[in-house]
Amino acid sequence: MKKSIKSLAVLIGICAFVAVIIALTNSITAPIIEANEAKKSNEALLEVLPEGGSFDLVDISEKQLPESVNEVYRAANGGYVVKLTVSGYAPGMVIVCGVNSDGTVSGSKLVSSGETPSIGGTAAEKFKSAVIGKTISDIDTVDTIASATKTTLGYRNAIKDALNTVVILGGGEVDLRSEEEILADNLSAALPAGEGKFTKYFFVEAIDGIDAIYTADNESGAVCVIGEDFIGADAEGNALTECSEEAAELVKTAITKVNSTIMSEIDLTAFEGLPSQLISAKLTESGNYVIDIKGAGYGITGGDEYHPASGEYILIRVSIGADGKILDCLTLSQAETKGIGDACANESFYGQFDGKTEESYNEIDAISGATLTTDGYKKAISRAFESVKILKGGN
Amino acid sequence: MKKNSSLYVLFNGILRENPVLVLILGTCPTLATTTNVFGAFGMGVATLAVLICSNMIISLLRKIIPDSVRIPCYIVIIAGFVTVVQMLVHAFVPALYEMLGVYLALIVVNCIILGRAEMFASKNSVGKSALDGLGMGIGFTLALCAIATIREVVGAASFAGIAIPFLEPLKIEFFVKAPGGMVVYGLLIALVGRLTKGKSPKKKDFTCVGCPGMSFCTKSTCNVKKEV
Repeated sequence: MKKSIKSLAVLIGICAFVAVIIALTNSITAPIIEANEAKKSNEALLEVLPEGGSFDLVDISEKQLPESVNEVYRAANGGYVVKLTVSGYAPGMVIVCGVNSDGTVSGSKLVSSGETPSIGGTAAEKFKSAVIGKTISDIDTVDTIASATKTTLGYRNAIKDALNTVVILGGGEVDLRSEEEILADNLSAALPAGEGKFTKYFFVEAIDGIDAIYTADNESGAVCVIGEDFIGADAEGNALTECSEEAAELVKTAITKVNSTIMSEIDLTAFEGLPSQLISAKLTESGNYVIDIKGAGYGITGGDEYHPASGEYILIRVSIGADGKILDCLTLSQAETKGIGDACANESFYGQFDGKTEESYNEIDAISGATLTTDGYKKAISRAFESVKILKGGN
Repeated sequence: MKKNSSLYVLFNGILRENPVLVLILGTCPTLATTTNVFGAFGMGVATLAVLICSNMIISLLRKIIPDSVRIPCYIVIIAGFVTVVQMLVHAFVPALYEMLGVYLALIVVNCIILGRAEMFASKNSVGKSALDGLGMGIGFTLALCAIATIREVVGAASFAGIAIPFLEPLKIEFFVKAPGGMVVYGLLIALVGRLTKGKSPKKKDFTCVGCPGMSFCTKSTCNVKKEV
């Protein structure tokens, strides 16, 4: 007992002694380090904006700027230098970015970071020259550097935030929200009773003049999208948002149609020759078919093998009108390669099928880098058309 | 030279028991910081400073530190000095601080320092421990500089950051990469082995003495036990 108390006392004593030494050293070095950093960052300001002349610190406490922004300097020639802290591979990448008065990147510099010097450090050096001259509209086109994706992605976000900051300081407005957030905000604004939870309606009936319908999950109503307008409506289809009579009429018709749709499940065993990939088929009173079908994605033989890693398939729902046109198309699930084939789950891909016929569906644009996924998807759509023909009694 | 003379202790670390090339300690910082002579020299000097200080303090406290908590005590002392050195380098040689990056903080886990604390400083007087630290530190620095010189001149056609233009077309970039570092390191170990042939200590001369498991080792080959 006495021995362990002694051990403890010695260890605590040594810790205290070391702490005092560190504290003393810090009190000497901290101001020097701070002065060095300040000097370095001033030199860095000129380095990233060589024609800047002199710099004044801008008061940004009242401004709504991206979170990563630490300091903003206004240069005598109208340009700005923005200092930001972002996360790369490790948190705490400090970057200064110079922006010319015309909104282009004049230069940037990694002031300090915890990145691996030989990997992220060298990648940042290369990336630096790639972003020069970029503007807010084309900064996203700069490719990240392989093997240092996190570092360069962090770097690119920093440059983007810097460019946004300059736009905001110049009196412009920048939407810092993502596309999903914008949609969610619009929906909630149109129908507050929906409590922010909406599901996109899958068209099984042709509804003219309406681009999209979002039904509230709590069944309080729906939001119809007509062009840029979001019109909220109650469960009976009476418009709640202020809009033209015409639009109100459209909404009323649409919601009534949605509410009155009756679908009957088709017994698939009653038909012969249906593709084995067909999962289910439903028929509406107006003669439209809703098909759930499996599609093969990235596979060995391109089009008929399921995903080699997971063995999973792309599950597609497609509605085909009585006139033979695709009313709506949706990817329900998929297990394609992340970052490549999984683009088939994006509306920008499957939305292309809307309005296409059996003759024209092949015209859609393939997903770049994922030809096999696209081929498998198209093959599934062709099987859906085939199934509808058989279900209608043809051959 | 007498085995216990101060000069012997000092020169011991430089060649005969060179920490990098004979004891094969501190391999990680050796490979990581020898792409550039300036960085290697800086790393060597930083380690030297920590080594002398920690050796002296540990030697000074060797009678106070109880055996059961000696490793945590050593680590706290070493980490303290490393932090101090890191702050000093950050304040006064920012260029070196940037170049060494995370490796500077990793001096804490450099086995040379803990190894010398355990093998030498905990058993010898303050003066000798300081000399041992100095010798080992110089040995470490020299070894690092030797490796770095070969790697930088052959691999990057420069010396301490100064370009050597006529070597530019002949440079072999492989040597600044990690595998090249391994090759150079291996060749130097072989060279030192050749130079000290018959004179360098056999492994067991020091492995058991510095072994943390010494007190409970039951192997019959454990030579320390027999002496005790």
